[in-house]
Amino acid sequence: MTDLLIFSGNVVKLVGLILSPLLLLPLVLLFPTPLIPKITKTCVRWIESTSKFTLLAACLSAIIMVLAQLFVIFGRYVFGWSATWLNEIVIYTYAAMFLLAAAHTLQSNRHVRVDIFRDRMSPTMKNSIELVGFYLFIVPICILILWSSVSRSFVASWINFEGSRESDGLPIYFLFRTLIPLFATLLLAQGLANAIKTAQTFKTQISKSNRGSQNGS
Amino acid sequence: MEAETILALTMFAVTIAALLSGYPVALTLGGVALVFAGIGLLTGHFFLSDLRNFPLRIEGVMSNSVLIAVPLFITMGVILERSKVAEDMLNVAGKLLGKIRGGLALAIVLVGALLAASTGIVGASVVTMTLIALPTMLKTGYSPKLSSGTIAASGTLGQIIPPSIVLILLADAISNASSRASTSLGALPQAVSVQDLFTGALIPGFILVGSYLAWIIYNAIFNPDICPPTSDAENSFPSTREIFFGLFAPLVLIVAVLGSILMGIAPPTEAAAIGVAGAMFLAGIRLAKETDADRWSPIIFAGLISVLALLFLANTFDLRLGRDEISFLDYLIILITVGIAITIMAGLVASTLVFHKAEHFKPAVTSAAHITSMVFVILIGASLFSLVFTSYYGDELVASALAAIPGGKWGALAATMLVMFVLGFFLDFIEIIFIVVPLVAPPLIVAGFDPIWLGILMALNLQTSFLTPPFGFALFYLRGAISEGIETKDIWLGAIPFIALQLAVIALVASVPALATWLPSVTR
Repeated sequence: MTDLLIFSGNVVKLVGLILSPLLLLPLVLLFPTPLIPKITKTCVRWIESTSKFTLLAACLSAIIMVLAQLFVIFGRYVFGWSATWLNEIVIYTYAAMFLLAAAHTLQSNRHVRVDIFRDRMSPTMKNSIELVGFYLFIVPICILILWSSVSRSFVASWINFEGSRESDGLPIYFLFRTLIPLFATLLLAQGLANAIKTAQTFKTQISKSNRGSQNGS
Repeated sequence: MEAETILALTMFAVTIAALLSGYPVALTLGGVALVFAGIGLLTGHFFLSDLRNFPLRIEGVMSNSVLIAVPLFITMGVILERSKVAEDMLNVAGKLLGKIRGGLALAIVLVGALLAASTGIVGASVVTMTLIALPTMLKTGYSPKLSSGTIAASGTLGQIIPPSIVLILLADAISNASSRASTSLGALPQAVSVQDLFTGALIPGFILVGSYLAWIIYNAIFNPDICPPTSDAENSFPSTREIFFGLFAPLVLIVAVLGSILMGIAPPTEAAAIGVAGAMFLAGIRLAKETDADRWSPIIFAGLISVLALLFLANTFDLRLGRDEISFLDYLIILITVGIAITIMAGLVASTLVFHKAEHFKPAVTSAAHITSMVFVILIGASLFSLVFTSYYGDELVASALAAIPGGKWGALAATMLVMFVLGFFLDFIEIIFIVVPLVAPPLIVAGFDPIWLGILMALNLQTSFLTPPFGFALFYLRGAISEGIETKDIWLGAIPFIALQLAVIALVASVPALATWLPSVTR
């Protein structure tokens, strides 16, 4: 069992490493390349549907969180009954709610921005900021979280199927911890999809403005 | 100057500059921190091992049981807004008070204070009130200045009137700061709970609402032209049903949720969950008629009545299951109680179905998930920022800078407030809580200021900042929500009297700390 887990962990790692050159795709797209746009389109579509799917999971978590918290209240105030597993459901679904929704929040541009200067920027300026932000901010943050969260103790957690510290807790603490690298992966993927889209509009904008200036002269 | 100091200073400056570029705040905070961690790694001032523990911080956020109240209150606010319950409150209150001079403005302040309680996000309440109330006010003949000033100011009340989300986040930050301050003093840590901050904010909040009301009444008496009563033709008196479900029921819900927290009956998380259930019931009742889902109404009402029955039974009989001996009668009553609980759940499910049929359920949950994620990803980004900033002794730098300000601890406080006020032009409350409060609060608490009082003062200060032209958030949202019929100049001038009132209340709370600290000391 342990061997199988470590093997599949290594497979996941290998897949990640093989896919990592995709992170350069937005940069490649900026240059006039004969690269088939179909690949990028499929890539963006897959990532966005994954984000949508995880948003659904986050919404489901939100609903379960409310219900579980209501059950906790019923139990405690009416029947004088409480259970660690029920409280843990509340905590786990709360964490899942904001971690799993993060990618879709990025996709639908709901992460808050300081927009006092942004409103006056040209589209080219906005797009360059998005691209620089992806490489300078999103990529390092997500790689840091992935690198640091998939640690030795994380592996140990999985091998032992680490559960709650309480005897009547949920036996899925290892899954709770897995939310962190999952969050980073999803955010990185959605950042990539956004960057690809930005790079494409960026290119059309530049070619348009070039054509515009040629026509003008 | 030492290399670390230079790094810390440039890091702060670069962060502010990067935030102004308009890239998402959460990612900017974390990203700039990592860029500076990289610079430190290359120059030997930072160690990779410092970053290794970062997931522990994320796990700390993930299992922080106090912060669970935040998504719950967000959900409650979104439900009230989507189901038009919030809109109804404003309409009904406007109809009730509209007949008197200044009545519409009074209604906005009162409803703003109540609604605020549930939404707590400046943008949402300002936009809602602008869209619903501003056209009516202008049509009735209110001056653009008074109308826009009232709406913008009432929208910011959400920050200070509990149960606001920002006060929950602020309580968390102040509590951490307080325990760090007591560690450095070698004293026993003074815990600051959400309840403390809520009760502390209550009296200053009431004073604020009272002063807004007084200003409007003053205008109604001495400037009757700018706030006329509504004409009878366009304003019918609301029906009893409208008053009951549109105004009274939401009022009971908000008072119940808030009351149970303030009285210490339930922790904020549990009160918030009750709030979500109550909001769902109200939404079900509100939307049942217009979605042809009236057949669900009996179940919803049965659920509501069951809540009362449950309260009665739980307070009258001993329903605890873990006892040694349970008499037959008790068994019977426990069985009945379980039935009642199931009825409540059925009512909740019926409300949800109605909400779903009105096509608001999925958007509401999605919106709640988005807002929650937005808040907590900022928290994650900010904790990365503070991790790196602290490793360059940035926190000690801030502390020594505060100590160097002339005028002792009051000078330091005034400087902090001024900086926060200016930052409030660019950053949202949430970011300031996560970045600035952890840096400035510990030295100020060490200097001898009461943590609760400090928190309330910061909240009032930022609230004023959001109202101050030209950068105030509330004014931006108002401007954005209405494109014509009102000039920017009027919005700015209209805000000025309310800013003056805010400053007066800040001065009052600053000089009489008991206004913020007395109530928490009684209820604790």
